[in-house]
Amino acid sequence: MDLETVKERAGPRQFAPKDDMPEKYRKAATRMIQFHANSEVMGGYLEKPFIRQAPSIDRKLAFSAKVQDEIGHAQLLYRAAESLGIKTREEMLDELANGEGKFLNCFHYPMESWHEVPMIAFFVDGAAMHRQATLKNTSWTPYAHAMDKVCFEEGFHVKHGESILSELMNGSKATQEKTQEAFELWWPRIIQFFGPTNDKSVHNDFAQQVGLKTKSNDELRDTFLDTYVPKAEKYGLEIPEYPRIEYDEAEETYHVNEDDLDWDEFWTIAKNDSEGSHEQIGSRAHAQAAVEWVRESMDSWEQASNTGTPQAAD
Amino acid sequence: MIWEVFRQEKSGGYHKHCGNVHAPDRELALQFAAIQHGRRMKTHSLWVAPQREIGEIDADEMSFGGMTDKTYRWATSYTDIEPAAPEVAESEAEQADVEHSLEADS
Repeated sequence: MDLETVKERAGPRQFAPKDDMPEKYRKAATRMIQFHANSEVMGGYLEKPFIRQAPSIDRKLAFSAKVQDEIGHAQLLYRAAESLGIKTREEMLDELANGEGKFLNCFHYPMESWHEVPMIAFFVDGAAMHRQATLKNTSWTPYAHAMDKVCFEEGFHVKHGESILSELMNGSKATQEKTQEAFELWWPRIIQFFGPTNDKSVHNDFAQQVGLKTKSNDELRDTFLDTYVPKAEKYGLEIPEYPRIEYDEAEETYHVNEDDLDWDEFWTIAKNDSEGSHEQIGSRAHAQAAVEWVRESMDSWEQASNTGTPQAAD
Repeated sequence: MIWEVFRQEKSGGYHKHCGNVHAPDRELALQFAAIQHGRRMKTHSLWVAPQREIGEIDADEMSFGGMTDKTYRWATSYTDIEPAAPEVAESEAEQADVEHSLEADS
């Protein structure tokens, strides 16, 4: 199929592995899905320590279930990426370990206190779900199928994150103040989740033309703000003065003043080159090396036989 | 030789198991599947796979999800929280459907 035909036919779940897709499409889709898969892994690793640090048994169980979900999402997405025939799952996992693999800006910052948890578990997950819901209509069918299952599970993540935020913002004055501090720290990063503005985004145009994306960065950021700014305010969080966010009466949507955001930091992170990037990638590479023996024994088992009883992770 | 057949109703949908056919090889299995399973039902694509290549594990052998109390991982459990956005509400509705089907079976 040539690129012109791809652009003509582009639409929800239009293309499948049996279609002969041009290399440019397959590379663009691989880049996008690999990024998404890497982000699921790195998000899972960022939240993992909070299984231990959770303040109650209910939160501990929910966090444990959530981290399992995120790693499961990564597995689904690596399969969807692999189906494009550009990279193997093994190659993508190695790229993530050696610092070449790219992932979401928010997961390059270490998270230290429980007050920061809802910044990821509510706002970043809410932003992710907002984007993922639109990707159910991506043109690459295996990606859309992965999104069906991911979105099914994510509703629990967002509500659980909001439940934590609600609990903190109904806590003592000191707790509320610490939560507000965490919010001020994370808010600009959360807005940058949606990436650079359309005119600065390198890949946006092509991804939309071939139906991989159905909404632009700007549209997603604005509609996210429409829902989540009132939510933050409802819980008593004060929106920081910067970046300036203005409500556009005519268009009935929020816009952010993007010159107020730190794009140098964003692009350093995009190159995996911030202090936090090194820390997060390093800790995951360390964890991967520690269980190398499990993968090795599975590989040799696979070569020796193909029997054995599978164990569902439940 | 028996081949399991999976039918996809329309482009972009899932291939769902719909039955099986006898056939000596893959090519004939596809032809027989087209005749037996794609003749009356709306069909966009069919897959065939040799029956002996399919593994199975059932509820006698292991506890699948939904057999133990794990309410903490359902969006529906957080009753004091209204869904923040339409996509959260949609996910919750899908989860409620699964919960109802689990309850109906127990």
